Amino acid sequence: MSDRFVVSLTHAKDNPDKATVAFVVANAAAASDKEALVFLSIEGVRLSQPGYADDVHEAGFAPLRDLIANFAKAGGKIYVCSPCFKKRGLDEASLVNGATIVGGAKLVEFMSGGVSSVSY
Amino acid sequence: MLELNAALLAGATEPEATFDAGPMGCGEIVIELKFRLRDLPAGARLIVHGTDPGLPEDLPAWCRMTGHTLVWARPPYYLIQRRDP
Repeated sequence: MSDRFVVSLTHAKDNPDKATVAFVVANAAAASDKEALVFLSIEGVRLSQPGYADDVHEAGFAPLRDLIANFAKAGGKIYVCSPCFKKRGLDEASLVNGATIVGGAKLVEFMSGGVSSVSY
Repeated sequence: MLELNAALLAGATEPEATFDAGPMGCGEIVIELKFRLRDLPAGARLIVHGTDPGLPEDLPAWCRMTGHTLVWARPPYYLIQRRDP
């Protein structure tokens, strides 16, 4: 079984519940010694911007900012969909820890060979 | 702490560290456990107190994946021994 695990997230403040739970699960993967990757696309790419998640704190969960920071601290990677990012005019010079802007080929390469994944 | 003392008397000696996780669960508690166990020496034991209803299933699974040892589980208390590096 692959030691890789992908969480695909297409939401940010348009659905903070999904954004939060996605990173909670990503934290579980990173904590479980998986090579964990969060793929941010569509609205999710906004989470790649430092400070954006600072006011997202769903009841019963840790603040989203902390979940993202802990994911990176545990070695998790964040891939940010390049066309989704460009469409929204975001700042590529400033990304949260662990984030890299990528095209589809990079994601396909990571997932080639069979990888467990969950989507939000 | 009376419950903790009872749990220890029931089969465990003094742990090296304690972690009161409160209601924390799912990915939040295991990533915190990862960080806390990483800071302990190999073989050290951490007693965890946590009330999340998923923990009786999650912590054994997490220990199986990571190689840490769940010495015993008496919800809401769990004793985890850190793996060798």
